[in-house]
Amino acid sequence: MSPVLLDVSGLTTRFATRAGSLNAVEDVSFTVAEGEIVGLVGESGSGKSVTGFSILGLIDPPGRIVSGSVKLNGRELVGLSHAELRSMRGREIAMVFQDPSATLNPVLTIETQMRLAIAAHENLGDAAARARCIEVLGAVGIPDAARRIEAYPHQFSGGMRQRVAIAIALLNRPKLIICDEPTTALDVSIQAQILTEMKSLAARLGTAMIWISHDLATVSSVASRILVMYAGRLIEAGPMAQVLRQPHHPYTRGLLGSLPGMAPPGEDLVQIPGTMPSLIDLPKGCAFQPRCGFADAQCATMPALSAGAGRRVRCHHPLAAETVP
Amino acid sequence: MLGFIIQRVLQAFVVMLVISALVFTGVYAVGNPIDVLISPDATQLIREQTIRAYGLDQPLWKQYLDFLGRLVRGDFGRSFVYNMPVLDLIFSRLPATLELTLAAVIGATALGVPLGMYAGYRPDSAASKAIMAISILGFSVPTFWIGLVLIFTFAVSLGWLPAGNRGDTASLFGIQWSFLTWNGLTHLFLPALNLSLFKFALMVRLARAGTREVMLTDTVKFARAAGLSEGTILLRHVLRLIAIPIVTVFGLEFGSTLAFAVVTETIFSWPGVGKLIIDSISTLDRPVMVAYLMLVAFFFIMINLSVDVAYAALDPRLRTRRAA
Repeated sequence: MSPVLLDVSGLTTRFATRAGSLNAVEDVSFTVAEGEIVGLVGESGSGKSVTGFSILGLIDPPGRIVSGSVKLNGRELVGLSHAELRSMRGREIAMVFQDPSATLNPVLTIETQMRLAIAAHENLGDAAARARCIEVLGAVGIPDAARRIEAYPHQFSGGMRQRVAIAIALLNRPKLIICDEPTTALDVSIQAQILTEMKSLAARLGTAMIWISHDLATVSSVASRILVMYAGRLIEAGPMAQVLRQPHHPYTRGLLGSLPGMAPPGEDLVQIPGTMPSLIDLPKGCAFQPRCGFADAQCATMPALSAGAGRRVRCHHPLAAETVP
Repeated sequence: MLGFIIQRVLQAFVVMLVISALVFTGVYAVGNPIDVLISPDATQLIREQTIRAYGLDQPLWKQYLDFLGRLVRGDFGRSFVYNMPVLDLIFSRLPATLELTLAAVIGATALGVPLGMYAGYRPDSAASKAIMAISILGFSVPTFWIGLVLIFTFAVSLGWLPAGNRGDTASLFGIQWSFLTWNGLTHLFLPALNLSLFKFALMVRLARAGTREVMLTDTVKFARAAGLSEGTILLRHVLRLIAIPIVTVFGLEFGSTLAFAVVTETIFSWPGVGKLIIDSISTLDRPVMVAYLMLVAFFFIMINLSVDVAYAALDPRLRTRRAA
């Protein structure tokens, strides 16, 4: 196993809202090895994006990291100064967002935006900076990069725009890229293309990735390990193939059951009843308990996340092999 | 781009023609300049001679066509009062107004946009609240009153700055300007400050609203995630994204101040076109009024055209739409 690159432990990010304070992320711990692709799955509001932003130190007030640690190559990131965090962002950990037409600045050329990202970290000459931009654009599959670099974002298609955003994230050769639903806003056919390319790009460059998505199918095709979040907490973690074959948490099984490709042919897709509770008003104990078919009195206390480097689950009644249909 | 400009210039011709008809009819419908021009005890003969000399005996349409005919040759007529070509008269006064207006609008923008951006960037800080309080004052206190207060404070009580007139001027491109001499600058300062307060308040509001909005977008988040410093983000990303409304208001304010800086020019005895037009209205100096109003229309057309060209320079998406 490759050495640990990112070590998140006990991460808790709290938002003070008018209705009271809530923990968007609570006690989340996981590691990412060098070059590894980890999938982070959950519905909207589960805290997966906030986890990504917390790692980058990009939580805006009224939110803040109240406890826990984020270590990159053994160096603690929580509590770093603004300047130290800024110089870490983009150079060591980069991030790609969901909608490239919202992330790229519509009034600046691709080259300007890429050069700004380079200039934030190193002082390359004009020619060298331009050459780096063209090289990275080529690497993410933009044809005729030397000419296209002078274009504006609106002159690219959606898929190409996301490639440009990915190129900007890659510019400073970060060791880790946090991908926050980078294919969700794209056409399905383009999605598959970008998934495959990013996977091979990561393998070639040795870049680790945290792939955040609500879409289990997408995540399962890129990531080798999966983390499932629910209501701000990590509820299941493990190697992708094992979790898919045999989920331990009833929520994970519910997610799998609602996937078209995963349900047995001819059967209806299974919905998880109810919706995720509001973080302001969480049920006592396990947050999934009101929607869970296996819940009993014991579930009124918060289950601990089972220890272990391999598979972990936060459930009083983890599903054993025989309970899986 | 060139096609777009040509199209707009042709449009401008039509607009100018319509405006000339409106202005001519409007101005010629009110009052009788003869009563103002000659003494009441003049003989009937002199009276009729004067009317004929100014062409006032002709029907309105004939007068208008004559006017258009002269206009084509670049002749706006002669002032009834000053007895000199109207254009010479206006252009002798225009530089004074132009420099006053430019000083006010540029000063307001150069100060208002950065302060507004700061107020939008840190909306909860004490400095931002102070900036917004000043901008509310700039909006709500009448210009003439501030002008009087400024004169009273800086000219009368403190004696730091002169209370009126242009002061010494120096020549550039054959035109006399106040801003080229120190004495002229001291004369320019108070009236420009007076005119700029409202515009400053406007720029602060615009920049603040724009910045607040843009700071929440993914563009800023993405730039932060790439490690850009806050200064670079504000200067390179945010400023460009909020530029279009600012340029629009800059143009509008520039045009309207150029045309109607009357109040401030009167208070500070600034010898600009604003005072000229007020005088010409009270003496029913029709050629001056007509020429001035047409000039104002022309300025607005030119300013709007420049603003549109600036849009295309600022936002590439507008460029392609036009080319298509």
